[in-house]
Amino acid sequence: MSEVSTLGDVLLKVEEVSLRLGDVQVLDKVQFEVRDRIRVGACTGQIVGILGPSGVGKTRLLRIIAALDAPDAGTVTGLKGVQVSAGHVGVVFQDYPLLRHRSVRSNLEIAGIANGMPRAEARQRASQLLEGFRLADRASYYPAQLSGGQRQRVAIAQQLVSPKTLLLMDEPFSGLDPAALDEVMHLIVEVANMNELNTILIVTHDIRAAMAVSDTLLMLGRDRSPEGKIVSGARIQGCYDLVEKGLAWRAEVMELPAFAQLEKEIRGRFKQL
Amino acid sequence: MSRAAILRIFLPNRAVDPATALFLVAFWVAAMLLVWLLSPFASLPTPVEVWRALGALWWKHGMGPELLTTIKLILHALLLTIILSMLLSYATVIAFFRPLVAAACKLRFLGLTGLVFPFTLLTGGGYPLKVALLTFGMASFFVTSMAQVVVEIPRVQFDHMRVLGAGELRILWEVVVRGTLDKALDVLRQNAAIGWAMITMVEGISRAEGGVGALILNQNKHFLLAEVYAILLVILLLGLGMDYGMGVLTNLICPYARLERVKR
Repeated sequence: MSEVSTLGDVLLKVEEVSLRLGDVQVLDKVQFEVRDRIRVGACTGQIVGILGPSGVGKTRLLRIIAALDAPDAGTVTGLKGVQVSAGHVGVVFQDYPLLRHRSVRSNLEIAGIANGMPRAEARQRASQLLEGFRLADRASYYPAQLSGGQRQRVAIAQQLVSPKTLLLMDEPFSGLDPAALDEVMHLIVEVANMNELNTILIVTHDIRAAMAVSDTLLMLGRDRSPEGKIVSGARIQGCYDLVEKGLAWRAEVMELPAFAQLEKEIRGRFKQL
Repeated sequence: MSRAAILRIFLPNRAVDPATALFLVAFWVAAMLLVWLLSPFASLPTPVEVWRALGALWWKHGMGPELLTTIKLILHALLLTIILSMLLSYATVIAFFRPLVAAACKLRFLGLTGLVFPFTLLTGGGYPLKVALLTFGMASFFVTSMAQVVVEIPRVQFDHMRVLGAGELRILWEVVVRGTLDKALDVLRQNAAIGWAMITMVEGISRAEGGVGALILNQNKHFLLAEVYAILLVILLLGLGMDYGMGVLTNLICPYARLERVKR
C-alpha cells in the first residue's frame, strides 16, 4: 500500500543537459526534476537514485549538477529556479577526499570556515556533527587513521557543516561489507530526513541498495541501434516512483515480495542500458 | 633469531621488525669496516691512519671553523633555494607562470662549471658567488621535483574544496601549500643532499673564504690521502646527520605523512 504524500515545490530541475567530450556524446538531453515529498506529520527529505552502468556518464552528470563542470547545453536549477552554483551543493566524492594534513575535527571546522562561517560557530557545528555521526572518539585522528566507513562518515559530515539542502553522492555503496552498507543506507536516510527540503542524489550501479533508500529511481542509459549496438549519449531511460509503489520509507522494504519483483525488473532493464 | 625470521630477511617484499632492521644495519656497518680493514688497496688508508689524520686536521688545521664556514654556506643557499623554488613551484597553478617554471626546470641541464664566469661577473665573486652557484644548483632540481608534486595533485582535491565553498586562494593554501608540505620537505631533504654533494666543488671554485671544500683540495694537492678520507668521512657523517635531522623535522611538522606510509 502506498504512503499518503503529496508533491510540493521543485527542488532540483535538470533540463536538457548535454555534454560532448571530443567525438563522444556523453550526455544527451538529460532531463528530470525532483519535487518536495510532503508527508503529513513527518519531516521527509528526498532521496533519488540514479542508476546506470559503469562508464555511462553518471559522474559527469553529477559534476554538472554540482556546477563543477559546465554542460554544452542545458541548465540545472534548484529551489525557486535559482541556478545551481559550486559551493552551494554538497558532494561526497567516490573516494571520500579529505584534507590529509588536518584532523577529523579540523576537517569539519575548515568546511565551515571555508564557506564564510565564523570560527566559533564552525567549531560548535563540528562538535555537533562529531557527536551525531558517532565520530567524537575519532576527532583528533588524521584521515589516514580512519577505516573506510569512518572516512565516509567524515566526508558526509563535512558536507553538512554549512547548511546545504542538495547533497550528491558518487557511488556511496561501492566496496562496503554488508554491515557497513546497512550503516551507510541508514545514515543516508537519516541525513535526508533532517530537513524537509533535503535532497540526496545518489549516483550508483548498486541496484538493491539504491532501491532500499530511494523514493525515486532514475535510470541513465544509452539507446541501442536496431542492430543492438550502443548509441552514444546517455539520457534518462526510465523513472520509478517507489513511493507510489509502496516501496519507500519502510524499514524492512527489502523483505517485501514487491521489492524483489521490482529489483528483478530493474536488473533486466539495467542490462539494456 | 628463529629460522623463519632468518628466512624472512632474504625473501622479497617482507617487513621486518625494528630489532631485526637494527641488526641488519649493524651487520652491514661491521661488514664495511671489515672490508676496509682487510682492504688490499694501498691507496686506501687504514681506519687508524684516517682517525689520526682527523685529529691533526681538527687540532692543527682548523677543521672546526672550516666546517662552520661550510655549514653557514649551505644553510644560506638552502634558505634562498627554498624561497625561490617554492615561489616558482606554487606559481605553476597560474597558467601565466607555467612557461617560466618549465624553463627554470630545464636549467638543471646546465653544468655549474660553465656558469662560474657569468656568476662571478654578476656577484663579484667570493662568498656571494658560492651562494649563487649552490642556490642555482639546488633550485633547478628543487623546482623540477616540486613542480611535479604540484602538477600531480589529483583534480578531486581542488573540486572537494570548491564544493565546500572555498575560494581559490584558500584552495591554494590548503591543497597546494599545506597539502604538499610533507612532500616539499622530502624534496628539500633530497636537494639538501644534492647541495651537500656539490659543496666541495663550489668551495673549490673560490677558496678564499675556506670551508671543507677548500680544505680537501689543499690536502689533495699535497697527496695527503688519510686527510682526504678523513674530510670525506666528516662530510658523509655531517650529511647523514643533516638528512636525519630533516627527517625528524618532517615527522614533527607533518605527522600524518608517516601514517600514510605502508610498511612492506
